[in-house]
Amino acid sequence: MKGASAWGRIAAMARKEFRQVLRDPALSRLIVILPIVLLVMFGYALNGTVKEIGLAVFDASQDRVSTALVRAFEKDQRFKAQRFDSSFAALESVRQGQTHAVLEIPLGAQLAARRAKAVPFTLLVDGSDPSLSSQIRAQASAAIQEVATQLIAGRALSTPGLTAPLSATFETLYNPENRSAVYMVPGLIGLILTQITVLLTAIAIVREYEVGTMEALIATPIRPLEVVLGKIVPYLAFGLLDAVIVLVMGVWIFGVPVRGNLGILALAMVLFVLGSLSVGIVISTITRNQIQAMFGTIAYLFPSIFLSGLLFPLEGMIPFFNAISYLVPLRYFLRVSRGVMLRGAGLENLWVEIVALGAFAVFMLGLAALRFRKTL
Amino acid sequence: MNAIETHDLSKMYRHGRELQTVVDRLNLSVPEGMVFGCLGPNGAGKTTTIRMLCGVLQPSSGTAMVAGEPLTRPDALKANIGYANQRASVYSDLTVEENLAFKARLFLAPRAVNDAVKRTLERLQLTERKRSLAAELSGGWRQRLSIATAIVHQPRLVFLDEPTSGLDPVGRRELWDMIYDLALKGTTVFVTTHYMDEAERCHRLAMISSGKLIAEGRPENLRSSIPGRFFELGANDLAVALREAKLLPGVRDAWITGTQLRLSTDESIQAQDLEPIGHEVRSVAATLEDAFVFLSKQAAGKPL
Repeated sequence: MKGASAWGRIAAMARKEFRQVLRDPALSRLIVILPIVLLVMFGYALNGTVKEIGLAVFDASQDRVSTALVRAFEKDQRFKAQRFDSSFAALESVRQGQTHAVLEIPLGAQLAARRAKAVPFTLLVDGSDPSLSSQIRAQASAAIQEVATQLIAGRALSTPGLTAPLSATFETLYNPENRSAVYMVPGLIGLILTQITVLLTAIAIVREYEVGTMEALIATPIRPLEVVLGKIVPYLAFGLLDAVIVLVMGVWIFGVPVRGNLGILALAMVLFVLGSLSVGIVISTITRNQIQAMFGTIAYLFPSIFLSGLLFPLEGMIPFFNAISYLVPLRYFLRVSRGVMLRGAGLENLWVEIVALGAFAVFMLGLAALRFRKTL
Repeated sequence: MNAIETHDLSKMYRHGRELQTVVDRLNLSVPEGMVFGCLGPNGAGKTTTIRMLCGVLQPSSGTAMVAGEPLTRPDALKANIGYANQRASVYSDLTVEENLAFKARLFLAPRAVNDAVKRTLERLQLTERKRSLAAELSGGWRQRLSIATAIVHQPRLVFLDEPTSGLDPVGRRELWDMIYDLALKGTTVFVTTHYMDEAERCHRLAMISSGKLIAEGRPENLRSSIPGRFFELGANDLAVALREAKLLPGVRDAWITGTQLRLSTDESIQAQDLEPIGHEVRSVAATLEDAFVFLSKQAAGKPL
């Protein structure tokens, strides 16, 4: 009698795996709901720009120039000013966390302006949250710039031929409103792909060892590589389904643009998911129960999140970690997804990343097959 | 022709500096078409032996021919055998039918799968339960399903590792009926057990203790092979009788079984020699348990 072919065995494995996932109501819901929850969380909650930052104001001058300065700080909901009677009270409000900066204007602001002298004032910034303090500095310098322009314009009336020394036009390309969702959605596709694929494959295999069905499988003619491939196919499908969910929701709900070629993005996704699935298999060969597999996945996930440029720009990292980030596959995927979606970049700009992802997929798949064989 | 032939099959594990021998130079011949039992306590090396014969575990040394293929060709070997492991490992989130179909697809061409599943369901009387999830099955039915997945591709040789563990007496009997049925249809069954009554039901039996083969043969021959005599007697105070019996020269061992005292003696003891200890002294035949105790002590070099 003719036996099963290699493809037949892979198909049987894949079919069984599909059925098991679909039969598990918690798992199948998780696969669909998790990306949506993550998307909403990162899209809305992780709002990059902070509005109405608490500002403690001690204004000793109380004249037109000092009022104009405070008003400039309040403009465009940059800051929410709270007035205090002394610099000590103003500082105390920062210490208590009610405000995050102190604007102190000494006596005689208007007088200095009239005499064409510099108007002195002090800005104290709460540095306990670096990302907040850098935002405060940026917002404050915008406000100061406005007042300076007004004062120079006033002087120009009385002094013919005097103009502002610099005249800059600022325009943000690709994400003008600086919305975090636009930046996060392309990255989120990568994060969700990593999480779903690595975790699900690792657990699917470790579970077979735990229950003893792996031993039964090893006693059949199915070969290690066939088990690996059969396990990968369903999770590849689920991973890509999640990617599509995030992509479609990102475009519809958050208005994330897709300026480039979706084919490039799809290619990057398939390569990235293949590699990630293989990472899951490698983890399953190191761990022997589902809890270990969970921790193994987290150990892989954390550097992916922090060293890929998903949340923090890679440029700001110290050289050591910047070098490590070249080993994080998510880094390359993010560059492709952000490049394609936000900037409309083409293959001529992204081929390095695509090649890196391809190398990652091939290397990990090979390692997975090799490691898996050893444990049989 | 023999379904299994092993030659000095051994498995060693290294624990730090110590080398532990789990299976020690095992030489077995299992003729085709019979129910071959492997009797031994837990930890004797039965499961390790089965795993090596199934190509799941690499032996440390020695060779074996299983179902016409050497252990060095595991892929060819695996196509000819079935294996139901001790934990009755089936996918609990799949139905009876799905479990069988999955296993069948790993062995058979797609066209043959449906027939094989249907035939196996009928043969093990699982047809009514084919849509039940394996998780919903009781222990006996789960064992049955596990065996079904091992024979769905009609292997020439099937390994059953303690198939009756955890079953009630009725379940055990039904399972043995099934095992005989398999053998009648020409499948060689290699079954492990630590129950003496089950060992008694095998056509041939290998006794294994501490990784060594201590005896092999038909159960009745194993029983009658041991030297000495066995007696049973009643006593008013069994504890006192036990103490007295153990002091008697010629008595190898004595132990209480229910309301009786049982003695293992050498040839010098006659029934009347035991009259002072108790009443109703009877000479009885050795059981398989007697044989196992005698043979394992002999193999370990302990006083008999």
